[in-house]
This record gives sequence, C-alpha cells and structure tokens, in this order.
Amino acid sequence: MIINAYSKSVYNIALNFIADRDMASDITQDIFIKVFGNIGKYKEEKNFTSWLFKISRNYCIDYWRKNRKHLQTVEVDEQISQESPTPEDEVIRQSEIRNFRQKILQLDPELRIFLTMRDILNLSYHEIAERFSIPEGTVKSRINRARLKLTELIYRGEAKHGLS
Amino acid sequence: MVCRDVENYISAYIENELDKDRHALVSRHLQQCRHCRLLKERTEAVLAKLPELEEEIPFFLKNRLLNIPEPVKVRKTRVFLFPKWVAAGIGTIVLFMNLFYFTNIYPSANREVHSLVSSIQKFIVKTGGLFEKIKESKDFLLFTFFNKKSLEIKDQETKKELDKKDVKGGTYG
Repeated sequence: MIINAYSKSVYNIALNFIADRDMASDITQDIFIKVFGNIGKYKEEKNFTSWLFKISRNYCIDYWRKNRKHLQTVEVDEQISQESPTPEDEVIRQSEIRNFRQKILQLDPELRIFLTMRDILNLSYHEIAERFSIPEGTVKSRINRARLKLTELIYRGEAKHGLS
Repeated sequence: MVCRDVENYISAYIENELDKDRHALVSRHLQQCRHCRLLKERTEAVLAKLPELEEEIPFFLKNRLLNIPEPVKVRKTRVFLFPKWVAAGIGTIVLFMNLFYFTNIYPSANREVHSLVSSIQKFIVKTGGLFEKIKESKDFLLFTFFNKKSLEIKDQETKKELDKKDVKGGTYG
C-alpha cells in the first residue's frame, strides 16, 4: 500500500525541510492527496517512487516559497527557546535535534532535500539521482556542499554560544 | 593539494569513495593542515548525528493519510475526437467562401466560388438523374435486381391493364 510504503519518507523530507511537525504533517497529507488525485499520470513515468519524490520535492519548495517569511520568524523563536539548559538527556537530545533542524532550514531548499535523503533517510547517491533524474555526480557535489554548509552553520553557532 | 580541493573531496574521503592516490593525497594534506583536519572531524560528527533526525510518522497523521479516499480507477473510453485545428480550418474556409460568394470584394474569388457552387449543383443534378435512370432501367440485371419491388409493382399494373382490355374486348367481341 502506498501510504505504508512511502509515508515515513515523505514525512521526514517535509519535517527536515520545514523544521515544524505540524506543518510537516499538513504537507505530508497534501502531498498524498495530490498523489492520489493525479495517480493516473504516473503510468507515463517509468518509476512511481521517482514520480512521488518529485511531487514531494516540488510541493515542499512551493510551500517554502509561499511561507518563507513566517518560517524564518519561527526559526528565531526556536533559537531563543533552546538557550535554556535542560538536565534530562532526552530533552537535551530533542533540543539538539531541533537545533540541527533549524540549521538545515538555513540551507538552500534543494540542498535540504538532498541532505535529508542521503544522511537522514540513508538513500544511496544512485537512488537519489534516479529519483530526481539528475546525474549522480551532481547529487554528490550538492550533498558535499550541503554537508560543508551545515557543519559551518552548526559550529559557527557553537562558537557564538561559547563566547556569550 | 590545497584546502579548497580537500573541501571538494571531504564527503568522498569520509565515505571512502576516493581512488587510492587521491585518498593518499587528502590524508597527507589532513596530517599537515589543522584547519582541514578540524573540518573533517566536524563533518564526521555532523554526519553521525544526522540519522537521529529521522522520525516515525505520528499515529494521528497515519490515520489521516489512511482516510484519504483511494483513487478510483476510471477506464478511459476511447472517443474519436475531431481535431480542433481541422474544425477551425474548415470553419475558416467556409467563412471565407461565404464572404466571397455573397460579396464582390474580390471579383475573381467571387467568380471561382460561384462556378464551384454551380459545378456542385450540376453534379448533384447529374447524380440524381443517374439514380432515376437506375430506378427505371429494366435492361441491366444488377439494377433490376435492386429494383425488384418496383418492377413487381409495374408488372402487376401492366397485368391489370391487360385484364381490363381483355374484359373490354370480351364484352364487345
């Protein structure tokens, strides 16, 4: 069944793209409504997974473009709230994850999706290239760029933290 | 190898996807360059953390997704559609022919259209005449076969006439 097979991947792409669980849930639902609405068209494509991921990517990027301003204000709020130290390990872990998501949010939309697929969903370069119909070399260079940028953002934040 | 090259190869180096020579070059650079070594260590730390960002789909969302109505497969019936551009072309031609037929803005075209219409009329009259001939013909077998009924009716009529004549001849004769 389509939902069981792909809902987790689509939800994780949306979640790490938008860094907000409620919005990610809405986006996932919208993507599946769109997929079911246009299911007749996928026969023209060779691969259903590729078609589904293209729809997911395009929907996420459109959503980002429409709600960019609002999402950027959310980011600032999160950064302020995470400054308070928490004793419980799980709370710290959640805080770290939230921090990572906020940093991912600062990457280019395309890079965010590639990074999520490779380093969070653990897909191979070949699979990603196939799903988006682009050369494997392009995928590799984009993911490398995304990793370097993310590392820079995370450690730049830590350095600032240390100074304050 | 310079720092810029190491940055480009850093992912491939961490994932062990570089060829032997290039791998050795990057390793040598990392031993010498503190900045690139730090970058490599930090990237590795980030990569180790990223899989933790994967989450299970919330229960309520899964329920919502399962409640989306399944797509109903509609069988496409092939309907022959008259191509739009052909219809548009025919329409335009008819429009122009009307224009030239009823007006005299372009006399030669007007003459041509009139002669075309008259030739069509002639053709219709001729074919109509031909059909009449076919209907009336008794000589050609194929036509008579098709006009069997009309022939039978005619035969009956001629018989009746002959009978009438016989009756008349009998009374006077």
